[in-house]
Amino acid sequence: MRNKFKAAIYLVIPIMLAYLLNTKFGSVPPILKFLNPFTGFWKNSVAIKQPKKSKLVLRNTKETVEIAFDDRMIPHIFAQNDHDAYYAQGYVTARDRLWQMDFQTRYAAGRLSEVVGVKALELDRYQRRMGMVYGAENSLKGMMENPKSREMIMAYTAGINDYIHSLNAGTLPVEYKILDFKPEDWTPLKCALLLKQMSAVLAMGSDEFYMTNILQKFGSAVTADLFPDYPFREDPIIPVGTKWDFKPLQVPSAPEANAVIQTSQIKTKQLEEGIGSNNWAVSGAKTASGNPILANDPHLNLTLPSIWYQIQLHAPGMNSYGVSLPGAPGIIIGFNEHIAWGVTNVAADVLDFYQVKFKDDTHSQYQYNNGWKNTTSRLEKIKIRGERTETDTVIYTHHGPVVYFKKPENLKMANNVPMGSALRWIAHDRSNELMTFYYLNRGKNYQDYRKALTFYTAPAQNFVFASATDDIAITANGKFPLKWKNQGKFILDGSNPADDWKGWIPAAQNPTVKNPGRNFVSSANQSSTAPDYPYYINWEFAPYERGKRINDRLTSMQNITVDSMRIMQSDSYSIFAENILPALIKAVDPAKLNATQKEALQVMNRWNKSYEADAIAPSIFELWTKRLFFNIWDDDFTIENIPMRYPSRDRTVELILKDPGSKWFDNVRTPEKETLPDLVFEALTYTCDSLERKYGPIGKGWKWANVKGTHVPHLANIPGFGSETLWNGGGKSTINALSESNGPSWRMVVELGKKAPVAKGVYPGGQSGNPGSPFYRDMIGTWTKGELYDLYLMNSPQDERAKVLNHLTIKKK
Amino acid sequence: MVFIVVLIASFLLQMVLPWWIIVPVSFITCCLIGKTPKKSIWEPFLAIFILWTGVALSYSLQNQHILADRVAEMFGLQTWWLILFVTALTGGFIVAISGICGYKFRKTILAKKHVSHSSVNN
Repeated sequence: MRNKFKAAIYLVIPIMLAYLLNTKFGSVPPILKFLNPFTGFWKNSVAIKQPKKSKLVLRNTKETVEIAFDDRMIPHIFAQNDHDAYYAQGYVTARDRLWQMDFQTRYAAGRLSEVVGVKALELDRYQRRMGMVYGAENSLKGMMENPKSREMIMAYTAGINDYIHSLNAGTLPVEYKILDFKPEDWTPLKCALLLKQMSAVLAMGSDEFYMTNILQKFGSAVTADLFPDYPFREDPIIPVGTKWDFKPLQVPSAPEANAVIQTSQIKTKQLEEGIGSNNWAVSGAKTASGNPILANDPHLNLTLPSIWYQIQLHAPGMNSYGVSLPGAPGIIIGFNEHIAWGVTNVAADVLDFYQVKFKDDTHSQYQYNNGWKNTTSRLEKIKIRGERTETDTVIYTHHGPVVYFKKPENLKMANNVPMGSALRWIAHDRSNELMTFYYLNRGKNYQDYRKALTFYTAPAQNFVFASATDDIAITANGKFPLKWKNQGKFILDGSNPADDWKGWIPAAQNPTVKNPGRNFVSSANQSSTAPDYPYYINWEFAPYERGKRINDRLTSMQNITVDSMRIMQSDSYSIFAENILPALIKAVDPAKLNATQKEALQVMNRWNKSYEADAIAPSIFELWTKRLFFNIWDDDFTIENIPMRYPSRDRTVELILKDPGSKWFDNVRTPEKETLPDLVFEALTYTCDSLERKYGPIGKGWKWANVKGTHVPHLANIPGFGSETLWNGGGKSTINALSESNGPSWRMVVELGKKAPVAKGVYPGGQSGNPGSPFYRDMIGTWTKGELYDLYLMNSPQDERAKVLNHLTIKKK
Repeated sequence: MVFIVVLIASFLLQMVLPWWIIVPVSFITCCLIGKTPKKSIWEPFLAIFILWTGVALSYSLQNQHILADRVAEMFGLQTWWLILFVTALTGGFIVAISGICGYKFRKTILAKKHVSHSSVNN
C-alpha cells in the first residue's frame, strides 16, 4: 500500500510540474509554454535574411496577385481586380499585425476580460455601456448595404482569415504566447468595431457634465464669461471672410432654459490638452516647382506596433499609396497620381447626454413629451477568463444607452459621464465611412473629393485636399446634427422633444473652401469657421496657437519645397509663449528671487520660444504655466463632489493680459487677497523647486527632452517591447505637438504635378508588429530626427525606383 | 544511453506535440533504462539543456537576438543569453525531476513486486 502511494507520488510530481509550467498565473506567461524553443517565443525570432522571391497558394484569390516588399517591408500590392487587392491587403496586414488588430477590436468590443481576466472588467463594461458594439452593428449594416464596400470588407476579412488559418502553435504572434490566448476568426463586425474605436478616441470628448455643474455653481453670467462661445484669439480653418454660397436650413430654436440637477461623488481632473493634428496644402503659386504640395501629420497616442500600416494598392482603376488602419480595408491618408488627401480631427459636438426621468426603479419607462415611453434593454454578455460570464443589462432610450446608474469604481475615463443620463452619440448611427476612402483612393479631381466626403459620418475630420491640376481645398467634414446654438454645451433634457437632434447639416453645406486667395489651406483642430457660419458645430475647439503658427508660416513662405514643408512639420515655436511670456516676466519682482530663480528668469528672457530638445527654457515655461493655471483656477473649480473643468487656455491668457486685477486671481481658500504677481511668483518657486528636486541643479538635467521623456510604449505595455526614451523637442502648443507619448503618428508630404508624385513620409514604428523583426521599430530614429523616407508609388512590381527586398506571388493554384 | 534517447525522442516529438511531451519522454526513458538515480537526473537534464539551447540558438542567431534581447528585458534580465540560460535551465530542471521520478517509480514498483514475491516464498 505504501509503495503504491509512493509510486503514485512519483507519477504525480512530473504531471503537476508540467501543468504549473504550462499555465499562466496573473501576468506571468505560462513559463515553459512560452520559453520552449519549439513553440515558444524563440520561434518568433524571424531570420533577418529573407529570400528574394517567395510564393503562396491561396485559393480564395481570383487571379494572381504580386506583392513587392520594399526596403522598409512596405507591401506594394498589384492585383487584377478589387477583390484581390483587398484580399491581399487583409492577408499581409494580418501577417504583420494580427495581434494588434485582434487586441484593438477586443478593446473596442469590451472583450478584454475574455483574455486578460477580471482586471479589465470595468473597462469592458464601459465599452459595452457606451454602446460600442451597438454602434458597430449599426455601422456594419450601412457597410453591407453598398455592394462596393461589402466587397471590400468581405475580401479583406477573407484575407485575414486565410492568414489566421495558416498559423500553428509555433507561428502565433509572440503576444499571444505572452498573454496565452489564440486568435479567433475575423469578422466584418471587427472592421466596424475598429472604426468605432477611432470615433471613441477622437469624438468621445464631452464636457457637458462639467459645464452643467459649473452653470449650477456659478450661474450663467460667470459661465458665459469664463467659458465663452468663441475664443478671444482665433484663426479659423475656413479663412475669415469666406462666403457661404448656400441657403442654410432653418435652425431649430432653443427651448426654455433647462433645469437639470446633477449630483455625484467624483473629483475633477484638470483637462489635458488632447490630440493635436496638422494638415495643410499650398497651391503651385507658392511653391518652387509650381506644383501643389500637401502635408499632414495626425497626432494620436503613440504605440508599438504602430497605429498605421503603410501600403500601396494597385488594381484596375486604382493606384494609391498611404497609411491604412490595421483592421480596415483601403487607405485612410495618402495619395495617388492625381490627388492627395489628409485629415485632422474636428472637435464637433456629436455626443450629448440627456437627463432621463424614469417612472420607477425598474427603468422600464421614462418621461417623454408629457407621457411615458418604453425603454428597451440590451444584454451584454461579458466572458471573463477564469470566472463565470457576467451579463450586464443596458437600458436604451430613443436617445441611446443609459451609460451608468452608478459611478464605476476606479475608471478615470468614465469621470465625465453623468449618472442616469442617456447618451446620444453619432457613432451609434448607421454609416459607411469605407466608401469615402473607396472614392478618395480612386479620386482624380476636386469633384471626386467632394463626392467621397458625402459618404462620411464620424469621427468628423478636416479633409485637406490637393490635386495635380493645382486645386487645393479643405472641408470640415462629418455628419453634423442640426442644432440650436450651444445645444449640448450642457446636459440636455431627455423628456423634452425640443432637445432632440432635429436633422442634419447637409453634407454640401459643411464648412469648406476651395482655392482661397491666400493660396493655402490648413487646419490644426481649431475652430472650423468664423462666427458667421450659419450652423452650430461646437462652442469650443482646440486652442488656436498651432493653427496660427501654421498660417503665419505659410503666409510668409514663398518658393516652398517638399523639404521646407518637412522642416515645418517639426517646427516647435510656441505662439502661446509669445503671447504670455512677456506678461509673466513683467509680473516677477527680481528682488524676491533666489539664485536658481534668478537664473531661470534669465533663461526665460533669452528664450527663442522654441521647444528645442536641448533647451532648458521649455521645461521651466511648461511647468511654470501649468502651475500658474492651477493656482488661478484650482481654488474655484476643484470642489469635492462637483466635477468641473478649468476655463480654457485662451480665456486664461485673455484674463492675464486684459484683466490683471481680476477677482479670479485671489485664492478663495486663504483669508489674504492674492494678486496675479503672487500667483506667478509662487508658480516660479514651485517650478524651480520641483525641477531641482527631480533633475538636480539648474543645467543639463533640465533639458526639455530629458524632462519630457518622449517614448513609444507597447500597445499592451509589455516591458521591453516599447522604445527607449527619445531625444526630441516639440510641445503641445507647437506644430510639432509631441508630448510624453502622444504626437505625430504619421508625417506625410506629397508634391503632385504632371510627373509622378514626389512623396515622403514616416511614422514612429515599423511595418512589422513582431518585436523580433528588424522592421518592428526601424523608422523611429528617422522620425525622431524629423526626417522622412521616400514613398514609392510603383508602376509595376518590377518598378526600379523602389528597392525591393522580397517579391511575393500569390497564386490561386 | 538515457541522454541519447531523451535527446532524439524529444527532438522528434516536439516537432508535432506540445513542449510537455519531454516530461513523459524523460519519465518513461528513465523508468525503463535509467541505471542510477544520479544518471536519471543528469542525463535528461543535459539532453534537454543542450537540445533547447541548440534549437533556440538556431532561431536566435539568424535574428541577431533582437527578440531574445527584448524578451530578456521583459523578464528583467540584461541580455539575450541570460534568457537562453533560463530557458535551457528550466527545461532541464523539469526533465531532471521527471527522470528521477521515473527511475524511482520503477524502483518502487519493483520493490513491491519483490516484496510480494518474497511473501509468497515465506
